[in-house]
Amino acid sequence: MKQERLEQLEKIRRKAEYVFALAGNPNVGKSTIFNRITGMGVMTANYPGMTVELNLALTELDGRKIGIVDLPGTYALGAVSEDQMVARRGVLQGKPDLVIVILDANNLARNLYLLLQFLDLGCPVIADLNLVDEAEKAGIHTDVRLLSEILGVPVVPTVGVRGDGLGELMHQALKMAEGKEEYHILPFSYAMDIESRIRRLARQIQRSLSEPLYETLYNPSPRALAILLLEEDREFVDALREIPEGKGLLELSGRIAAEIEKEHGGKAALIIARERHGIAGSIAANVQERRAHDRPHLGERLWEYTTSFKTGIPILLVVMGLVLLALFWGGGALADLFSRFWDGYVGGPLGRGIEAAFGVNTFSQSLKWAVDGLGAVLQIALPYLLIFYIILAFLEDSGYLNSVAFLTDRFMHRLGLHGRAVIPLISAVGCNVPAVMGTRVLSTRRERIIACVLIVLVPCSARIAVIMGGVARYVGVGPALLLLGMIFVVVIAAGLLLNKIMPGESAGLVMEMFPFRRPSLVTVLKKTWQRLKDFLYIAAPLIVVGSFILGLLYESGWIFKMTTPLKPFTEWWLGVPAVAGLALIFAFLRKELALALLLVLAAQAIPGVTESSSLLEFMSRGQIFTFALVCAVYIPCVATLGVIWRELGARDSLAIAASTVVLALLLGGAAHLVLIII
Amino acid sequence: MLTEKMEEYLEALFKLSREEEALNPARLSEHLGVTPPTVLDMLHRLEADGFVRYGGTGKGRGKGKVYGRARKAISLTPKGERAATALVRRHRLSERFLTDVLGLDWESAHREACKLEHVLSPEVEEKLAEVLGNPETCPHGYPIPDEKGHIKEEEEEIKPLCDLCTNEKGRIARVEEEEPQLLQYLASLGLLPDVDIEVKEVAPFGGPLLVKIGDTQYALGREVASKIWTKKRRGRVRRGPRWTGDARVR
Repeated sequence: MKQERLEQLEKIRRKAEYVFALAGNPNVGKSTIFNRITGMGVMTANYPGMTVELNLALTELDGRKIGIVDLPGTYALGAVSEDQMVARRGVLQGKPDLVIVILDANNLARNLYLLLQFLDLGCPVIADLNLVDEAEKAGIHTDVRLLSEILGVPVVPTVGVRGDGLGELMHQALKMAEGKEEYHILPFSYAMDIESRIRRLARQIQRSLSEPLYETLYNPSPRALAILLLEEDREFVDALREIPEGKGLLELSGRIAAEIEKEHGGKAALIIARERHGIAGSIAANVQERRAHDRPHLGERLWEYTTSFKTGIPILLVVMGLVLLALFWGGGALADLFSRFWDGYVGGPLGRGIEAAFGVNTFSQSLKWAVDGLGAVLQIALPYLLIFYIILAFLEDSGYLNSVAFLTDRFMHRLGLHGRAVIPLISAVGCNVPAVMGTRVLSTRRERIIACVLIVLVPCSARIAVIMGGVARYVGVGPALLLLGMIFVVVIAAGLLLNKIMPGESAGLVMEMFPFRRPSLVTVLKKTWQRLKDFLYIAAPLIVVGSFILGLLYESGWIFKMTTPLKPFTEWWLGVPAVAGLALIFAFLRKELALALLLVLAAQAIPGVTESSSLLEFMSRGQIFTFALVCAVYIPCVATLGVIWRELGARDSLAIAASTVVLALLLGGAAHLVLIII
Repeated sequence: MLTEKMEEYLEALFKLSREEEALNPARLSEHLGVTPPTVLDMLHRLEADGFVRYGGTGKGRGKGKVYGRARKAISLTPKGERAATALVRRHRLSERFLTDVLGLDWESAHREACKLEHVLSPEVEEKLAEVLGNPETCPHGYPIPDEKGHIKEEEEEIKPLCDLCTNEKGRIARVEEEEPQLLQYLASLGLLPDVDIEVKEVAPFGGPLLVKIGDTQYALGREVASKIWTKKRRGRVRRGPRWTGDARVR
């Protein structure tokens, strides 16, 4: 087991007096509480090779600096999924002074399971009973004091969305952290026969493992390690295999696990899980009282409509339509606003300033290209992304996306994905960059690769602009729709094909479903900002640098030297003029510029053509169609490639890029061939 | 008259006959930890006394193969079934007595009950049931047969979760073990054997299922659901999984 330390975590630890970790099941309102108790300065940290992030923040309470580590939402702390492993490492290795476990009062039994695991690991715990308002509404009353007595840890009821009880929670937490010595966290004892076996193994562990060895295993208590071994936890079993003392322990734990299996007729890991669920269930039954649930409230009924097939599909279509409308209208209006602001106050003056400072030469002109690139980020990408992200966060926090995933799972399965992937795919229509980042919700690498390929093929707003401005305007609306239809078919075909040829199987869908919840505006806005920040920090610099390079090539005239080597591809294979080939290549740096670039280059290379000419003056309608097709299919832009590189690594991102280029050339060649025949 | 050894065989046969696998001497010898010849020997005696049928009836027959003697199916005759349920009743009553009244732990209760079951007279058995208030289950949650050897709850057909219809209820029998990762993940969500499950919605065209367990609803893909086997309950509901009643809480 490698000891990967997180730099950010250590930084927080150095700055803060105490570090608290926030843990809880998914959908218990953990991120809302995190956002409520921290400010804007949120850092994210990644374990190498893992996509699940830890959010870290500093906050102040009663004049003391406190670091908050937001663990990923998990149902358990095993080694079966990335989020569980990250959560576990965050606790075992980050060693917070206190773990705040957020429990959903509506579903206490299942939520207590995680808390019991923290107790098993020997972590100091405080429980936050969240969503008590919803639970009361549903007729569930919890005896908080009794719960606290049984668990032996403080329990604070809260309503995270409104912020009720959070002050008290933090106060209690701080009190507990300050008087750490006074609290003794007692683990629960399992059924007698299992407990005695756990202790037998724990004694042996204590005898045979020395202190420094413990360190390499993240230092769990002997009892915690014994339970982990009986559960056949991959991470710890592997770690023990590498040390000489480990063999004997593994042998013993294997023997004990076999004993349990023989006696209870199930794998020891399952028997322990069942015990834990049993304890959790009986605690919940002891502390909760249920009145008969009155009428299901509006949110619940609406939710049922969205998951039932007959009503769910029409609702889904309407919602998707509304999202697209909001994108085109809302985004369009915002784009206008931004571009007026940019031209009037930033872009124009900056351009004049550059010319004044450097004079009119190749360098200053190239710099102006870079400024234009920054302008394009602001005017073309940002408005659509802003709108899209706000909608996305709302849909996510309300719980509607789970219904969507449920409804579309079957179809997505054919493409080698599952229901959760539908969101990134839809969002690709706006911009591919955030869509690629959205593939993190997928659990396997296979799914992420397939999703990235499909996303790259989905035309983003820039490519739709090229299709509209080129094909719809000069060739006709029919051919433009035909082109979009062709791309749609290509996306589906690519999914079907990849599902066939990629090794492995798509993972099955296992997802919790919960009725609609009221989203919190603060959380929605913070989520939006987090995502926009990713785009601005990764995509924007690439676009600006790309624009600058493009400017240099153009202003220095170098760009035309590429015409000759490109000839066989462009004129012979695709049947388009050589300048069109140039435009295609350099659209990689700025795809929305493909048409403008084509005109600018043609004006230089072909006599009689000016920048305001019609495309039809030097290209036939078939050529325009081919040009737009190739432009839409090959790797979208430098920013998208950059972000895929970051998500999947060099090899796969280059493979995806190369295959889309090949695909685009094949499709372009085929279109050329068909056009010759007709 | 049954000897203690014979009774142990009957008890083992009772247990094994309630599992899905074919019941044959090989399995019996594996379960009891004795050699196949010993098992065959005892089976012959039980067969002679009319407690078991052996060699041709029961499961595993008619597959068109000639099985060796050790592969032939064993089944209990009605007489054997009666004797076995009576034993099981005494065993489980004793366990209840040992844990509830004497306060032994489960493990030792089981060990002691293995001895007691052979020596309890019918009168003591009846008194024991009376004193304990005619319990329905043993401490491990298994049903206690009544005086007539009738068992309150016996599960019927076992089928995969994905074959259940909308609004159909069942109880998880087992989860296939080929994928330990999935198994453990499902276990952490509470999708465990002996847990009640209800199908709320089945998406058409082989889509996922919406299922309810306790207070939680999950969407399960069809291929996940096909790995979860459910049993349908007949008759009375068992008094809940075995952990209810005593919260082992400090």
